[in-house]
Amino acid sequence: MIAAVAERALRGLALLVVACAVPLPLAAQSLTVRAAGDMLQVRGTGLRLIEGVVAAHLKDGRSVRVDFDMTILDKAQGASITQARQSFVISYDLWEQRYAVTRNGAPPRSISHLVARDAESWCLENMALPLTALGRFARDLPFWIQVDFRVQDQPPTAADAESPFTLRTLIDVFSRRRQDEPPGRTFEAGPFRVGN
Amino acid sequence: MRTLSLTLLLLSVLAVTPPPARAQDVEPPDGTRVESAEVSGIPDAQLSPGLRRDIDAIAGKPLTRPDVTQLARRIEEERPEVVVAVRIVARPGDEARVVFLVARISDDASLGSNINARYTVESVEIEGLKEHEISAALRDRLQALVGTRLDPDAADKLVEELKAERPSYNVWRRIERGTRRGQIRVVFKFAEIEELRWLHFTPSRSKFVYHSDQGWSGLHDIPMGNRDHRVTIGFALDDNDTLVEEYSGFRVRFESRRLGTERVGASLEASWLNNNWRSPTLAALDAVPGGAEPYRHRLTVEPAVSVALTRHLRARGGASLSSLESLRHSPDSQMASAVTGSLAYSQRWRQDRRTSQDVEASYELRTSADGLGSDLSYRRHLGHARYQFESRHNRIIADVFVGGITGQAPLFERFTLGDSSTLRGWNKFDIAPAGGDRVFHQSVEYRFHGFALFLDAGSVWDDGATHELRASTGFGFHLDHVFLTAAFPLDARGGGGTFMMGVRF
Repeated sequence: MIAAVAERALRGLALLVVACAVPLPLAAQSLTVRAAGDMLQVRGTGLRLIEGVVAAHLKDGRSVRVDFDMTILDKAQGASITQARQSFVISYDLWEQRYAVTRNGAPPRSISHLVARDAESWCLENMALPLTALGRFARDLPFWIQVDFRVQDQPPTAADAESPFTLRTLIDVFSRRRQDEPPGRTFEAGPFRVGN
Repeated sequence: MRTLSLTLLLLSVLAVTPPPARAQDVEPPDGTRVESAEVSGIPDAQLSPGLRRDIDAIAGKPLTRPDVTQLARRIEEERPEVVVAVRIVARPGDEARVVFLVARISDDASLGSNINARYTVESVEIEGLKEHEISAALRDRLQALVGTRLDPDAADKLVEELKAERPSYNVWRRIERGTRRGQIRVVFKFAEIEELRWLHFTPSRSKFVYHSDQGWSGLHDIPMGNRDHRVTIGFALDDNDTLVEEYSGFRVRFESRRLGTERVGASLEASWLNNNWRSPTLAALDAVPGGAEPYRHRLTVEPAVSVALTRHLRARGGASLSSLESLRHSPDSQMASAVTGSLAYSQRWRQDRRTSQDVEASYELRTSADGLGSDLSYRRHLGHARYQFESRHNRIIADVFVGGITGQAPLFERFTLGDSSTLRGWNKFDIAPAGGDRVFHQSVEYRFHGFALFLDAGSVWDDGATHELRASTGFGFHLDHVFLTAAFPLDARGGGGTFMMGVRF
């Protein structure tokens, strides 16, 4: 009896998967580290920050504030050795069709004429993390890095507006995060050694 | 200092701008010979010799925009406290002049918060609302932005003032390129907040549902129109999810929710449906001589008028005229015509952004009317209530309905239980294949993120017959628009359970 229900369930599930086949983007971020003077510099690609609703928001000429939180861990999902927090403001130059990023704080740093991926990388590279804070991990021990970023300025979405339900809006609904959750991601990479 | 810098920057823009507007509008194409290249806004000495040399080197060569952009980036990399805009100006003799306009972020905080703050507002536009619906004073302040550099904070403040003046609208702004380089259009967009409308459009019935005992059902509504008037074209494909009958066909619905005032609306719906009947249903109908008769085609026209008594209480009255072509005695047909009326209450309380409570309650009466030429005489009552509490990722939903029919109602009016939303786990063609004229159903569901647990209980029966309370439980993945459910009757007679999935949108 249970087998029959399970079989029907699997058959239906397979049909749903075929019906709703949507290519899912794979997480493909990669990080590298190096010492730049007395600071640890982290470079990364594939953060997938400027995409979807955030990219649409920026291309509407608005800016977004993104809070980055970078934690150095002693092992995968391990204890925190040190942490850096930094806010950035990203905007999209409507005429140059390139992104501009400003690092908040004193003194502010800024850059423009970047494509989306370079703007994301620039944020990571401009996280200030002194090597001294890594202690013995700054010398020869391997460490892991956890990066968390949250977009703080919630863009208005189509759901705020009166919009009739259509297949198109259904696709929008499925591809959108819940409105009470700021867009963002957390990921971890490692092991790294300074000088790698 | 700041004023001086900005003044110099503006003067430098003016200085490199030739007087005729036409020359200003069209940038020289790539390949144009560069007459000169210069940096404005900071002294050359503040750039490295290598960078100065590379900037000078583009003079006399064909213009290549990626190279110019790269040089602008190099200036910013060397001087992190500045941002650079590139201006390429046509010169006589098919030549171009390249100017790197440099501005210090410390001189203008708005540049750090939005790079477009260096552009001049060419026009201010309003979308989603007629201009005269905004006060003249606020309109004037919006138009005062024209000709000034974009100030994001000032524009956001105006958004807040527009929201305060039109509280039933969501307001946001976006900016777009203007018609001339370096100029932008600021668009203030209004979208009415649906829950604050006096009347609501009929909710979409679109769904694609799979039930392991009943197969696939499909309905798709395609609404078109504006915020007051709408036409919806709907298609049905083998829908057996809610009624005793299985039907395919299409319908058209015209709706207006502003007839002179937003508190009065009207609708007219016409549907053309072909009906199929499951063998258990036909067998059950055959077992009751003189009972309801199955039909081959159903043509229905339903005009109605709606009135909002308050923002939360709405009344609706109308008629439902159905022509039912007999399945067994075609082309004979019956008319099932009724006067309809309903009263509906709905309200939402938001405690904060993540916590809310919703209450809906309605009562509907459909009663046949001789004056409308009905061949069937009946009266149908249906009461429904629903409560939902949501806090962060937790949601509790309680739903109950009670209905009764007196007289001889057409089959589409009869109640059923045992589908993808009622008495889940049971098959309606096992419980009451021809439906019933009495119904009671309640459901309680708890969801965490999308994971759902539920308990359904109910009964559907004919007046005078014994009725049995059935219950079922189950679990699944339920989001607002998609569900995947395994449900099991709490009674051995219900079989081994059912699996359901689908989308409702």
